Amino acid sequence: MNGAVPGHALTLERLTKRYGGFTAVVDASLTVEQGQFLTLLGPSGSGKTTILMMIAGFVAPSEGRILLDGRDITVLPPEKREFGMVFQGYALFPHMTVAENIAFPLRVRGLARADRDARVRATLDLVQLTQFAERRPTQLSGGQQQRVALARALVFDPALLLLDEPLSALDKKLRAELQEELKTLHRRIGRTFVNVTHDQEEAMSLSDRVAILNHGKLVQMGGPVELYERPRTRFVADFLGKSNMISARVAEARQGGAVLTAGGTRLVQAMDGARAGEAVLLSLRPERITVLTAGETAENVVDGRIASAAFLGAGHSVTVETADLGRLRVTIPTWQASVAPEEGVPLRLGWSADAAAPVADDEDA
Amino acid sequence: MTGGYGPGPFARSLAWATVLYLVLPITIVIPVSFTDQRFLSLPQETLSLRHYANLFGSEAWLSAIGQSAMIAVASTLLAVVAGTLCAIGCWRIGRRSTELLRALMLLPLIIPSIVYAIGLYRYFGPLGLLDRFLGATIAHGVTGIPYVVITVSAALAAFDPRLEQAARGMGASLSQTLRWVILPRIMPGIASGAIFAFIHSWDELVIVLFIASRQVFTLPRKIWDGINENLDPTMAAVAVLLILFTVLLLFLDGAFRRRRES
Repeated sequence: MNGAVPGHALTLERLTKRYGGFTAVVDASLTVEQGQFLTLLGPSGSGKTTILMMIAGFVAPSEGRILLDGRDITVLPPEKREFGMVFQGYALFPHMTVAENIAFPLRVRGLARADRDARVRATLDLVQLTQFAERRPTQLSGGQQQRVALARALVFDPALLLLDEPLSALDKKLRAELQEELKTLHRRIGRTFVNVTHDQEEAMSLSDRVAILNHGKLVQMGGPVELYERPRTRFVADFLGKSNMISARVAEARQGGAVLTAGGTRLVQAMDGARAGEAVLLSLRPERITVLTAGETAENVVDGRIASAAFLGAGHSVTVETADLGRLRVTIPTWQASVAPEEGVPLRLGWSADAAAPVADDEDA
Repeated sequence: MTGGYGPGPFARSLAWATVLYLVLPITIVIPVSFTDQRFLSLPQETLSLRHYANLFGSEAWLSAIGQSAMIAVASTLLAVVAGTLCAIGCWRIGRRSTELLRALMLLPLIIPSIVYAIGLYRYFGPLGLLDRFLGATIAHGVTGIPYVVITVSAALAAFDPRLEQAARGMGASLSQTLRWVILPRIMPGIASGAIFAFIHSWDELVIVLFIASRQVFTLPRKIWDGINENLDPTMAAVAVLLILFTVLLLFLDGAFRRRRES
């Protein structure tokens, strides 16, 4: 297990899976580059686990192909794919010790005992479980079990590491800790990782690339920052954090932007290819809205009154009732709020022309 | 289980009455086996071990015990292998058609053994299996399969199918997965089934009456003949040993079950 072994590239071509009349995955195409950390993110029933199971070989696709470094592996059985996998709930063998669990893939490959022991020891070191080698999985904590599962999936130098909701069974604090470990591990061994989760924070913090799925369709794929800042659809904007949705109409198209109207409010918005008269849906993140003090101004200005406020520690989450844009959710960092926001207090809100992102309305798709 | 209310006096006495009803006929042979008389009776003047001595000194009784033990071991082996493979196969395929197959495998348990015995008699004749060790082994093995299918299926129902996926994902072939992952996990179920299959063969009489005569002479057959021909109290001594042996096996089964649950 050294960093010189390159990761492998995985390509899914128009993958579709149908179960009788139900279609779990529709026409999913994507590529994971060598050494990348890809996360398939979506709500339950979005088809993300089905895609992972097709990559692993446990589920046969109805249509489409799976390629590893350009080689078609669609019909290869799972035991021939050489992929490591961390299962949901870990699927550790309860009748074997930690060391025996980790040695299993090597035993299957008929490695000599001495060779096997050396690699098990090295892998135990890698996940810092050396002193637990002779324990049974049931005698370990959730986090330790997760590390055993990881060690077992990595010990045979797999071409690809697949992770099925690897952190979902852990409590919040441990999850954050193991996220950090997983990220470090990925950097250290340089393998290609494919992760599945419904937790958007986990996806954003771990991955190089995130593929967002909904109703079996791949909605958008990109880096975490790109996805958060430039969601292409309403679903992506809603699923990745919180978002204000503003319905407006183009009053005047300009170079690289547009003037929009929403009720009686005029807004300037950076966007491409706007046509006068067309309807536009904007996604505006709560933290991109600032509270303007007297005399301050911004490209977009809206007046409103606080409808409700909640203190979250790092900031206040405030809902502001406006005349034309409905309720807007605003995050005010605690250090910026001179007095605690209270119901009924009038506020002037402002944001820049590039703060919001135009999105397609796919909510009922 | 904890902190509940205890049973009322009616339920309690009903339960004890049931226990007595079940256990009394069995326990009655214990004093009979120590009788000082020469016929089946309760001890008159003193307790005696002469019938136990008679049992262990008798060529015929020991041979019957030996034959029964050999047939039971061999037929248990047959039932365990066939029953386990059947249960695993049904579990792996997991379709509705396998439910039918599983029901079919339970037939020997449901059909009266006398009906089964008549059928075997018809088939074993031309095959030359009548009054043969092999014939008795096959008959007991096949009728022992349901016990194994039931216990192994129960063990498989508790088996996490992701363990099999995990094994195969790590490159294990089907036979490696079977040997290293599935079998060790369901071993308590297999052992439990083996014990029941053994007990089944050990005390089976009806089939043996049909398919065996002189060469194959099992212990239940010997007891049966003993009751028909003379009322030798040695039978009571045999019965006591059988009870002890069976209780021992059931305790063993209980131990396996506890291991499975832990």
